Amino acid sequence: MNETFTKAMARNIFYGGAVFFFLLFLALTFDTVQTLPKRDHRENITDSVVRGKHIWETRDCIGCHTLLGEGAYFAPELGNVYKRRGGDFIKMWIKGQPTGAPGRRQMPQFDLNDQQLDDMVAFLKWTSEINTNNWPPNIEG
Amino acid sequence: MIILINNPKSAHQVYATPPGDLAIWFFIFAELLAFGIFFAAYAFARAHNIALFDASQQHLSRTSGAINTLVLITSSYFVVRAVAAIKQGYSNQCARWIGAAIGFGAIFLAIKSFEFYGKFSSGITLSTNTFYMFYLSLTIFHFMHVILGMLILAAVMLKARRGGYSAENHTGVETGASYWHMVDLLWIILFPLIYVIH
Amino acid sequence: MQYKSQAVAKPYFIAAIGLFLGQILFGLIMGYQYVVGDFLFPAIPFNVARMVHTNLLIVWILFGFMGSAYYLIPEEAETELFSPKLAWLMFWVFLVAGALTIVGYLTVPYATLASMTGNDILATMGREFLEQPLPTKVGIVIVALVFLFNISMTVLKGRKTSISLVLLLGLWGLAIFFLFSFYNPSNLVLDKYFWWWTVHLWVEGVWELILGAMLAFVLIKITGVDREVIEKWLYIIIAMTLITGIIGTGHHYFWIGTPEYWQWFGSVFSALEPIPFFMMTVFAFNMVNRRRREHPNKAATLWALGTGVMSFLGAGVWGFLHTLAPVNFYTHGTQITAAHGHMAFYGAYVMVNLTMISYAMPMLRGRSANSRSSQVMEMWAFWLMTISIVCITLFLTAAGILQIWLQRMGTSPMSFMDAQDQIRIFYWAREFSGLVFLVGLVLYIWSFFFKNSEAQAAE
Repeated sequence: MNETFTKAMARNIFYGGAVFFFLLFLALTFDTVQTLPKRDHRENITDSVVRGKHIWETRDCIGCHTLLGEGAYFAPELGNVYKRRGGDFIKMWIKGQPTGAPGRRQMPQFDLNDQQLDDMVAFLKWTSEINTNNWPPNIEG
Repeated sequence: MIILINNPKSAHQVYATPPGDLAIWFFIFAELLAFGIFFAAYAFARAHNIALFDASQQHLSRTSGAINTLVLITSSYFVVRAVAAIKQGYSNQCARWIGAAIGFGAIFLAIKSFEFYGKFSSGITLSTNTFYMFYLSLTIFHFMHVILGMLILAAVMLKARRGGYSAENHTGVETGASYWHMVDLLWIILFPLIYVIH
Repeated sequence: MQYKSQAVAKPYFIAAIGLFLGQILFGLIMGYQYVVGDFLFPAIPFNVARMVHTNLLIVWILFGFMGSAYYLIPEEAETELFSPKLAWLMFWVFLVAGALTIVGYLTVPYATLASMTGNDILATMGREFLEQPLPTKVGIVIVALVFLFNISMTVLKGRKTSISLVLLLGLWGLAIFFLFSFYNPSNLVLDKYFWWWTVHLWVEGVWELILGAMLAFVLIKITGVDREVIEKWLYIIIAMTLITGIIGTGHHYFWIGTPEYWQWFGSVFSALEPIPFFMMTVFAFNMVNRRRREHPNKAATLWALGTGVMSFLGAGVWGFLHTLAPVNFYTHGTQITAAHGHMAFYGAYVMVNLTMISYAMPMLRGRSANSRSSQVMEMWAFWLMTISIVCITLFLTAAGILQIWLQRMGTSPMSFMDAQDQIRIFYWAREFSGLVFLVGLVLYIWSFFFKNSEAQAAE
């Protein structure tokens, strides 16, 4: 059997393939970054939205909830919660935690003030307006 | 990767491996698979939106696509001649044929760049519509393969010029040739699929 | 053990297993909170338990990688480690930093921890898997750079094999892509886009180079197959990994605000991602079948084969199940993702570390293999852990399918919590499987404490 299969060629294919596909990935990333302003409505990112994202992060909300489907699967999706429940409900809900219902999943009390609650809602409202290619399948998330 | 063939010359040699280094065939296999799925996806997406695809297709230049097909087939022929030359042990001839193939590759890139320039300057992007998404993705993806193929051929040419191959040992030439033929083959499928069929 | 300085791998392996135990305990807490929601509330809320669970996983796998590198590199380079002292120093730095971070998670409210650790200066916290406070993140970078310096210098002064080059490449990639964890734009879409550059390009990119190198090293040692053969297959497999995996990142870009074309790119390339895993399985079995020696360490062989099979099932098959955009539209962000995550992480990164530890620990303790009874115990641990992870995956998959059916299909979908109530039975089954996993892990740890007189006699 006259088989040629050399390590040098395998190595070249590894390096060549990796560089090639990474360059393609960079090209697609470039196009994505160019296209995003039309989809994420960044003109609507107010200071309130920015503060809201900071509150979202510093309470580790992602440790229970999903946001656009990413995060933990312990509590409801919040990417579209503004559309599902509206701003007033969100504020009331955060203020009312924990429910203390025995045996039920509990959300901590974060002691947010009115300004922080408004920021949180602003962030969730902006997030709900991102063009996500119609995900989630329905309002329940 | 082992192909059963009927070889009348040597009865005991029943198995033959594809030309060139087996490693390149893993790469070719992966590439064909990626393109193959993309082609199938194109057909699938087109079937759901024939009107859009046919309307957008009208804006492509079939002439430049046809010329490019001829250019690539010609360059593939040069590569065949290069392999034939090295099998006779003619290193310089081999290098010259490969050089010609690279030159034709460059012509392909030039014509294609001209076509892309027209599309980009009329504001077409990946997000314009599904047809253009496929058109741009597949042709740019292929364009990058032509560049990679030319780099591989250039490496082979330089080694051939230094006398690095011989009539007995020319796996490298066959390896480069195999890859270049794949690049050519992909275009031969891509051109009718995206430019012509409607 | 051929080189004295390889001994520094030992504390890394011990720390890795210790943290692994911690990870599993917190996993059990979370699994119980899934069914008894107020368990340990408010002392350990679910999000805190989850941070501890996932961060311990990451840290112990990094400990395993570093220990493996310290064991493998001197032997491959045929020279002593550049600086064992530096390796010891970094061991303590990393362990203390890791422990302090976990203590911080458990004792201080997360928001307080954030303001205490300078998150208001450079906000990086509160994103999945990257919850670590800024000093910890900086610490990880410093430890990684010192570690990379140490092993790179070792390779530079010694023999340069393909295995050590691939390992180095993977580890350097690990450090470089971690830098994206410091980039946190206020635009959520951009944040998510580049968050994946750390997360996806780690687990479906550079970590697989590390995995390939570690597996190849152990296979050379236990099968005695020619290095040339193993190294060229290593190159082909990791080439396939990167060819499919880099653009495969696109399967995370379907629904987070990124352009629609990612649905095509992500689907096409990630549909090919099982290929390298399948090749790895075939490769591992082939090499063991073509073995030229009978290595006394049967347990290590079992782990190596297990890595091949389970990474293919977990990353390859379970990844493919929900990677195509039309399917992922329904499965995204459900228990299906959790099912895939558990088996893929166990099959690939847990098992390859345990393969390496199983091979190297006896050597580090001065024998080529553990006694028969110790190995039998280890193999029991292998089967208990592996079967229970398969069960966890199956139960979570069933939970996910039902969740999708109730919450995402039909004209009158249920709310999230209503759907969760309907699938409790699967969460109970998962928790039970988790307990079996814990038993397996305890047996595994126990197997290290066996008397090893007969093996020492054989040595």
